[in-house]
Amino acid sequence: MTTVTTSPASGPAALERGVRTPDGEKFIDGIAGTSVRMNGCSAAAYAALYANVDVITAYPIRPYTAIMMNLAQFIADGVLDAEYVTADGEHAQLSAAFGAASCGARAFTGSSGVGVTYAYEMYSIISGARIPVHMSIADRTLDPPGDFGSEHTDALCTRDMGWLLGWAATPQEVFDKSLIALAIGEDPRVLLPQMVVQDGYFVSHIAGKVDLPSAAAVDAYLPPYQLPFALDPRRPVSHGPQIHPEQGPPLQLERARAMEDAIPVIREKTDEFGAAFGRHYSHFVEEFMLDDAEIAIVISGGHSVTCRAAIMRLREQGIKVGMARLMWVRPFPSEDLRKALRGVKAVGVVETNLGLGGPSYGGILAPDVTTALYHMEGTRPLVTSFMAGLGGETVPVAEFDWMAGKLAAAVRNGRVEKAAHWVGFED
Amino acid sequence: MAHEVVRQHLPLFDEDGRSAAVDGDAGRDLHYLPDFPEEDPYQAGHRTCAGCGPAIEYRWVLKAAGQDTVMAGPTGCMYVANSTYLCTPYTVPWAHTPIASGGSFTSGMAAGYEAMIRKGRHPGPYPNIVVMAGDGSAADIGLGSISGALYRNHDALYICYDNECYANTGIQVSPTTPYAGMTTFTPFGKAVPEGKTLPPKNLARMMAEGHPNCYVATTTVGYSVDLMNKTRKGLNHQGAAFLHCYTPCQKGWVYQTSMTIELGRRVVEAGLFPVWEYDPEERKYHYFHPPVQRPVTDYLAMQGRFGHMLPEHVASMQMAANRNWEDIGMDVPDELRELEDPERHKRLADEQYSMPLNRGVGA
Repeated sequence: MTTVTTSPASGPAALERGVRTPDGEKFIDGIAGTSVRMNGCSAAAYAALYANVDVITAYPIRPYTAIMMNLAQFIADGVLDAEYVTADGEHAQLSAAFGAASCGARAFTGSSGVGVTYAYEMYSIISGARIPVHMSIADRTLDPPGDFGSEHTDALCTRDMGWLLGWAATPQEVFDKSLIALAIGEDPRVLLPQMVVQDGYFVSHIAGKVDLPSAAAVDAYLPPYQLPFALDPRRPVSHGPQIHPEQGPPLQLERARAMEDAIPVIREKTDEFGAAFGRHYSHFVEEFMLDDAEIAIVISGGHSVTCRAAIMRLREQGIKVGMARLMWVRPFPSEDLRKALRGVKAVGVVETNLGLGGPSYGGILAPDVTTALYHMEGTRPLVTSFMAGLGGETVPVAEFDWMAGKLAAAVRNGRVEKAAHWVGFED
Repeated sequence: MAHEVVRQHLPLFDEDGRSAAVDGDAGRDLHYLPDFPEEDPYQAGHRTCAGCGPAIEYRWVLKAAGQDTVMAGPTGCMYVANSTYLCTPYTVPWAHTPIASGGSFTSGMAAGYEAMIRKGRHPGPYPNIVVMAGDGSAADIGLGSISGALYRNHDALYICYDNECYANTGIQVSPTTPYAGMTTFTPFGKAVPEGKTLPPKNLARMMAEGHPNCYVATTTVGYSVDLMNKTRKGLNHQGAAFLHCYTPCQKGWVYQTSMTIELGRRVVEAGLFPVWEYDPEERKYHYFHPPVQRPVTDYLAMQGRFGHMLPEHVASMQMAANRNWEDIGMDVPDELRELEDPERHKRLADEQYSMPLNRGVGA
């Protein structure tokens, strides 16, 4: 007989943690417990280093490129042992990460702008296969015209594709959220791919203080990745076969439930992270000065930092304004948002994205927020939205002041002027 | 410390001239040979057509690869025909990939196993990693993805099973559809009497020329020993290997279902599918010289997809075949050279042993 045959092993394989390189151990020991100034791209790369990822798939596009540059250097320095796949495009990049993660390797990828949309076919396929690929995005305006600046449209385009999707507002949050997202997505109760998004340049390229933990602390928080149905010759399994139409609805229902079932795990892993590392994040909605607020801004991502400053100034003027920041956009925090905004009279959604021709004729988030608030018990707040920070523009304090004025007017008049305001183009 | 990545080595089958079995030899009808492995990682449970060339190729490739194998299959007829939910013909792990992801998904699998074995997360040995992409996937939409994987030299075998059309969707033209091959996107008619007007893309040559460090070979289902040995050579080659395999499609080509293997030999003997091996160490092509050289009509007339060809079309096909003979270093006999003249041909439909004209649309 001439073939090589291995007999199938009985029972699942042991949960193995990948070994780090000696230089990697030394490097992390050296930085553990210190606070380092780094930008969001570096923070994402450090998170991947701590997570000891097995496969990295890269393709350059601004501004996320620096994440991959950092990782390439870690590998070149012998600090991280991972396969670094320089893909021939984002579709291939996502496919390779998908292939690696399907075999049981922890796979890390990322992109920006049109790179995110070039890979579009892969998002539904990866989440439908329940393969927890991790994707780190520094968001960017979609073409046309060529624009490097931040806009949330790229990642938001994937919002219905079954990925966990959330924005980080600071480099520290990028680092933390990457680890939290991996812990959630790889949890056997969840098994979903994750997108951790940071605002291009505002977060990706501006340095902030990042507290770095020990490798042991991260290892204790994040168990080794084990896919229960990996492509492994010891336990053969077929992935992604064709189905008949009548088999579609139950499978789609399972995908919908997977998103809902992720909600309690998100709460659990966020709390566990807080207990382990001392940084306590809101599960879904960061509530800022909302207790007695009459008007509120709903926002996600880095512009929330400016928003907080604006709110503190407005509070000094006696205006009862607060902020609700969406930590995750998928699964959408409907319940937490209703809780956070109970008693608020008017809500303005900051849309750093384009939802051309959508229900509000503005952005993508306001319709989601409106749907969530529609089911609020008692008096519902009025809802409007603000198109701001498009094309990579800042959203300065003055614009938040203007938004607050519009919201106050809505409260006075008992109705909103329009569903979407274009900030800077209106009086 | 990093763990060693141990790779498999598969022994080759005794060739013994069987690959080149010719007319009159007892071997010509014997394509299933007794010393082949008994195991069949490609099992019953699929629903391919009678006489399906790719199904034969799948079976031989997986026989050659054995059980310690991980396989991927981009969208194509062999996705739809093979894998039905709750029923699978594979006893090895298999994954569907998007049609453009044959190379990229597979390179991810290879990268994953390299890293997992090195980091102690998989005991090894490194599995045989095989992807079988149809010609639409390999030569068209996923060409870049396979080229990327070959360029990056991930240790895996990338196979194009070439049935010369998009068969899954009902027979549409692909880059490897031969000149004059009728498909539903290249019908023949008064204004376009030849059907497909373009010559095919030379996929395997492009892969060999463009990725000179890879093992690249062509073969057909007509040569089982050759096919299985090239599968094993590709798997034994450390790094990327590409195998282009000719696999007739009964549904798309319209021929008698028992003629699949025969077509796999005649296409070579007619000079229309050169069989060769590219050795990356020598940077040399090794061409298979078939013991018989036939006129192209011996091949074309067996298939309904060519039934519309006029004398001038047959003559240009002979011209292309003669250039192929020269390319692989074989003499073109005078009788074949003379067949470059349209005057020497009839309408293919009028050839004595021609199959009925395929006037149906699709399949």
